[in-house]
Amino acid sequence: MNGTPALKVEKLRKTYSTGVLALDGVSLVVEAGRFFGLLGPNGAGKTTLINSVVSLARPDSGSVEVFGRDAYEEFREARRMIGVSPQEINLDKFLTVEETLLFHAGYYGVPKAKARERAGELLERFALTDKRKQRVNTLSGGMKRRVLFARALMHDPKVLFLDEPTAGVDVELRYKLWGYIRELNHNGLTILLTTHYLEEAEALCEEIALINGGKIAAHGTSEELKEHYNAASIEEVYLKVVGRDLSG
Amino acid sequence: MILADRPFRTLLSREILRFTRVWVQTLIPPLLTSILYLVVFGVALGARIKQIEGIPYLEYILPGVALMNLVTGSQMNSSWSVFDAKRERYIDEVLIAPMSNLQIALAYSLGGTLRGVLMGAGVLLIGAPFVGIGIAHPGLLLLIGILSAFAFSALGTMVGALATRIEHISFLTSVVIQPLAFLGGVFYSVGMLPEALRIATLFNPIFHTVDAARYATLEVSDLNPYPTIAVVFLIAVLAFCGAWWAISRGPNLRY
Repeated sequence: MNGTPALKVEKLRKTYSTGVLALDGVSLVVEAGRFFGLLGPNGAGKTTLINSVVSLARPDSGSVEVFGRDAYEEFREARRMIGVSPQEINLDKFLTVEETLLFHAGYYGVPKAKARERAGELLERFALTDKRKQRVNTLSGGMKRRVLFARALMHDPKVLFLDEPTAGVDVELRYKLWGYIRELNHNGLTILLTTHYLEEAEALCEEIALINGGKIAAHGTSEELKEHYNAASIEEVYLKVVGRDLSG
Repeated sequence: MILADRPFRTLLSREILRFTRVWVQTLIPPLLTSILYLVVFGVALGARIKQIEGIPYLEYILPGVALMNLVTGSQMNSSWSVFDAKRERYIDEVLIAPMSNLQIALAYSLGGTLRGVLMGAGVLLIGAPFVGIGIAHPGLLLLIGILSAFAFSALGTMVGALATRIEHISFLTSVVIQPLAFLGGVFYSVGMLPEALRIATLFNPIFHTVDAARYATLEVSDLNPYPTIAVVFLIAVLAFCGAWWAISRGPNLRY
C-alpha cells in the first residue's frame, strides 16, 4: 500500500446547529489493512466522525483523506473506496433484496454484469439467496442487518465502516458476522468498527481509539492500552478513561 | 465529469421503478380524477356552455386538464420521493455515494418529469377519442409538457428536501398547486374574467403552461405562446436551482 494510510483525519471539528460540539479537533490515522476499533459512550462522536468522512456531516474545519484522496475535493474517488454499514437500518423500502444490492452497485458505478456476479456471491454468503425477490421491508431485523452488510460490500470497497454492526443482532448471527469480518480483514480490507460492546472490540480489533466528548481520549493496540492503564481488559481501560472524564 | 454517469442513471432508474412499481397508486387514481373532470365539466356542464373561441367546450378544456394532471403528477412524485427517502433515511445511501448534489437533484427532478409527462399524455390519449382532437403542433406540445413537468418536479424536489413534516408536502399539493391549477384557465378563457382577476392570473405559472399547451393543441390561446415558452423555461431553471440548493443545504440531509 506504499505506506499511504487508509484514513487520515486531521483536526476535525464539528459543531451541530444546536450548538453541540460533536468533534473537538479529532486527528486519527488508520493504516491500510488494519482492523481499527473506535470506542466510546453514546454521543461521544463516533457516528459523527464516520459521517464527516462520507460528507453526511459537514465538518466546521479539518481535513480527511481516504487512501491519499481528499474526501471533499476528490469526493467521488474517496467515496468509491468506502463501504458503510450504518447503525440505523436504512434500506430502500421500494426495492427487493437483490435490487438493493444491484442499485447500490450502480450508485457506485459498478458495471451491470460485474454487479450481478457480486450480488450472487454476497446473497449466497449472507444466506439471502432464497429471499432475493422479497421486498426488504418484509424481512426480519436480523435479515435486514445482513442486507446492510452485503450492500456495503457490493462495490468492493477498500475500507469498510461498520457502525455498531451487531446492535440488536442475536448471538448466532453476531458470531457469524465476526467470522466474516475477520476473513475480510485477512484478505486485506481495512475495517473501522465503532461499537460499545467492549468484548467485540477486544475480540476483533488490532488497534483501538477511545473517543469521549468529541476527543480521542486514548489510542493504541489492545495490549498497549492495557499496559498503559494497568488494566486486565479493554473494559477496564474503557472505564478508567471514560470514568475519569465523567468524574473530572 | 460526465453528468449522466452510471451513478446518476441508476438513481434515475430507481425513481422510475418507484412510480411504476406502485402504478395502481401513482398512475391510475389521477387519470380517473381527470376523466371525472372531463365528464363533469366537459360533458355534463359543457353541454350548456357550447363553445369558447369557436371550440367545443370539452375540446377546449382537454389540453388544460392534461396539463393540470401533468403538473400535479410531477410535483407530487418528486416531493414524496425525496421526503420519504429522507424520513426513512435511505436517502443517506444516495448522499454518501460518489454523486454530486447536482446529479442527485437532477435525477429526482427527471424522475418526476417522466411521471408527469406520462400522466399528461394519458389524459390526452383517454380524452382524444371522445372529442376527436387533433394536435396542431405536437413538437411544441411535447416541449411545453416536458418543460412544465420539469419545472414542477424540480419544485417538488425542493419542497421534499426542505420539508421536515408531512404537512409541508400536503401543503404544497393542496394549498399551492391545486388552487393554482384550478385558477390557471383550465376551465375558462381569461378573457371571460374581470380585469383584476385577469391580471392576477398572469402571475400564475400554471396559467402560462396551460395556455401554451392549448395553443399547441388547438391553436387558440389567451397569450402569444412563444414568449410563454421563455417564461416556462425561466420557471424551470429557477425551480431547478432551488432543488439543487435544497438537496445541498436542506434540513436533515447533510448535518
